[in-house]
Amino acid sequence: MNTPVLSLEGLQKSYGSFTALNDVTLDIRQGEIFALLGPNGAGKSTLIGTVCGMVKKTAGKVRLFGIDIDDDPVGPRYRVGLVPQEINFDPFFTPTECLEIQQGYYGQKPDPERIREVLEAMQLTSKANVVTRALSGGMRRRLLIAKALVHRPQLVFLDEPTAGVDVELRRDLWTYVRRLRAEGTTVVLTTHYLEEAEELADRVGVIDGGRLLLVEEKATLLQRLGERRIIVHLEKPQAALPPQVAELGGVLSEDGLSVSYREKAGARGLRPLLAAIQTAGMPVNDLETQRPRLEDVLIQVLRGRGEA
Amino acid sequence: MNVVGMKTLFVKEVRRFVRIPGQTVLSPLISTALYFVVFGSALSGRISEVEGVPYLAYIVPGLVFLGVANNAFVNSSSSIFSAKIQGTIVDLLVAPLGPLEIIVGFVGGAVVRGVLVGLLTWAVGILFAGGTLVSLWLTCTVLILGAYTFALLGLISGLWAEKFEQVNFFPTFVMLPLTFLGGVFYSVDTLPGIWRTVSLFNPVVYLVDGLRHGMLGVGSFATWVAPVVLVAVSSVTTAISYALLARGYKLKS
Repeated sequence: MNTPVLSLEGLQKSYGSFTALNDVTLDIRQGEIFALLGPNGAGKSTLIGTVCGMVKKTAGKVRLFGIDIDDDPVGPRYRVGLVPQEINFDPFFTPTECLEIQQGYYGQKPDPERIREVLEAMQLTSKANVVTRALSGGMRRRLLIAKALVHRPQLVFLDEPTAGVDVELRRDLWTYVRRLRAEGTTVVLTTHYLEEAEELADRVGVIDGGRLLLVEEKATLLQRLGERRIIVHLEKPQAALPPQVAELGGVLSEDGLSVSYREKAGARGLRPLLAAIQTAGMPVNDLETQRPRLEDVLIQVLRGRGEA
Repeated sequence: MNVVGMKTLFVKEVRRFVRIPGQTVLSPLISTALYFVVFGSALSGRISEVEGVPYLAYIVPGLVFLGVANNAFVNSSSSIFSAKIQGTIVDLLVAPLGPLEIIVGFVGGAVVRGVLVGLLTWAVGILFAGGTLVSLWLTCTVLILGAYTFALLGLISGLWAEKFEQVNFFPTFVMLPLTFLGGVFYSVDTLPGIWRTVSLFNPVVYLVDGLRHGMLGVGSFATWVAPVVLVAVSSVTTAISYALLARGYKLKS
């Protein structure tokens, strides 16, 4: 079995009496996209900061590429990249210079070809030689991503990478992240756009109050906890639902023109629902189904219903 | 050791101050020129010579030292403080750069600025008072080690400071009194007994004296005193800086 790219064992971080990370144990596998999800203040950025050298852990072990960071805090970082949550920029330098500097920090000589490639991927080519203070907020965010990737790290932490980035570019970034994975790069992602995690993640971890509540393959998780939403559009408005439809869990819309129903994972509710609607003599106009959403799963897990 | 990373940080620090020459080089030169005009012209009428040297020439080494110390200090303190405020310190914390690489990078850039301003100040001094160089090695030792020491003090100050007000604390409340009471404009031998004794506790006195020996060939102490004091003080400040960076003092939460 391959050594995990990142291995956390009983990771603990306390600020006085406040526990930001509580006994977190987690392995990140090589080449996966792992989404770390949780509400604000859950401990996501603290976890990333502890691994990346910005936060001093209170207890526990962090192994990067099999190396204990207590034994060698610097060596493994040649292979790590980070997009921090907070936008930062050095007003004295242009994006090209920032990327040259970044390559240098990681022990690499300036590689103009790589810099061009990353700037192009982040759609910053036209701003390559403009001082960073002249960039918009979204551009600065993209420059952060470029900086995290320019030295070709094997493990990339993307802490809210697309906050404030427009939809089109967000989708381009998703494509780029998939490309990174195809090239063997491991990605740890935190995001408030659950659609992003849903699109990209292979595995999902849910953290809250510093505790890792769940780690699971995204597909398995959605299958296990996801609810499919079914909407049956009716031809004529109904004043109330017949009892046999209501008993199955159907809910009539305010305008009386549709019946919605949440199908639990593994349940087979569509056929009985349609049969009950038909029996009640309600003509169906259309049928709409919405696939299980990570957002619903996350809410369930945070409410304490996610344990396997 | 990450030599490329260290060199990158050093070059970045030099490029940073070179991009704003008005603030980093020109401004200190104007201040020095004003010192020559105000102190030199006003006092040289009353004090014709000190230790056999015309007064205007006598204050040149002290003003050169003032330029070196202030600029080396301000460069590293403002650079690390602004990196903390702007958030770019994250780049250094995440990158494979240890305390040694960070010290060499930040302090190296500050030394270049300090020595550059010192040399330009000297050039201004030569315009006003003529120039002599008695000992090249002693002058270079004091200039470079002096810049190094004050750059380290700036680094420590920048690490410590959390607010803009605190960045100015060291220059205003520590460096300014130490330099002005460090024999920049006078010889400590001219002070009355108790004040001369008090001055002996001020390391700047020895550094200015060392530069005076190097440039003018006169001074109150032996020529070896300044290099010894500088080596001692810079060793302590290097050890403190290294320990603070290794601990992540006010950098890591």
